[in-house]
Amino acid sequence: MIKRTAPLLAALLLGTAGMAFAQGNPPNNASPNPATAAGQQTQQGTPMGTTGTPTAPAGGTMAAPSTGMGTTATPPAAAPMQPAMRPARADRN
Amino acid sequence: MNQTYLRACAAIVLSACVQIAGAATPAPAMSVEASGVARAAVTSGDNQRMPFAVVDKKNARLHVFAADGALQASSPILLGLARGDRSVPGIGERAMAQIKPHERTTPAGRFVSEPGRNLGGEDIVWVDYGAAVSMHRVRATNASERRLQRLASPTASDNRISFGCINVPATFYDTYVKPALGQNHGVVYVLPESTALREHFAFLPTQAAR
Repeated sequence: MIKRTAPLLAALLLGTAGMAFAQGNPPNNASPNPATAAGQQTQQGTPMGTTGTPTAPAGGTMAAPSTGMGTTATPPAAAPMQPAMRPARADRN
Repeated sequence: MNQTYLRACAAIVLSACVQIAGAATPAPAMSVEASGVARAAVTSGDNQRMPFAVVDKKNARLHVFAADGALQASSPILLGLARGDRSVPGIGERAMAQIKPHERTTPAGRFVSEPGRNLGGEDIVWVDYGAAVSMHRVRATNASERRLQRLASPTASDNRISFGCINVPATFYDTYVKPALGQNHGVVYVLPESTALREHFAFLPTQAAR
């Protein structure tokens, strides 16, 4: 029994692995970047060969997250009723 | 010892007098100018549905109104020592010791007030943050200024002592000013004393501005 099912299981595993491999980017002659042309992928827009999360652009502000086609950005939460207090300062008594 | 005791007693009595004077009065006296500005502020929508206050400099009185124009209460107040309706440019950045007597004005006009704190950590209402003009509880830290006595006196002429801020009896501040203006934005209309009303309040109807 085991002898019969073992080849079947092996075939199934290979098939699954093949599906996984097939989901990579196919080679693309049009790409100017040799690495991406060869099918390599980068996540989060980082340069090839780097890891980690993208750094904030110069100026120190975080870029707004991009949204997909047809989606709208979630508006910021409504401003609280209490206004933001300005820095304490001396008054004219 | 006896002198100290007497001084302490006098301070307590004075403070009580100020509290009584500053307590809400059911039918506060209000000048024609003050009531006219309050009415026009609501009918024209100038107060933008916010609670507001009218500072009557000539009579040294403060009137606090709800957003719909209903009068909440009135109180005597202390104002800037100098007569005048303008702030000297840059006065908000100057140390108190560098402010000359004739510069100690309480500016007239329409101000969007905001709750805030001064450097001592006290909660106050900013009338004009840039010029450092606020509305706050009366401070009797300098005995020679006799601020409590000035507030307790029935006359308005001696209510000019501050560097520009609007001093309010503490109980009145906590009961009326803080709930109305100390939690959110409001509007403070400071009536002029040496310039025309309409110069400061364009929303006034022609007949009320006279």
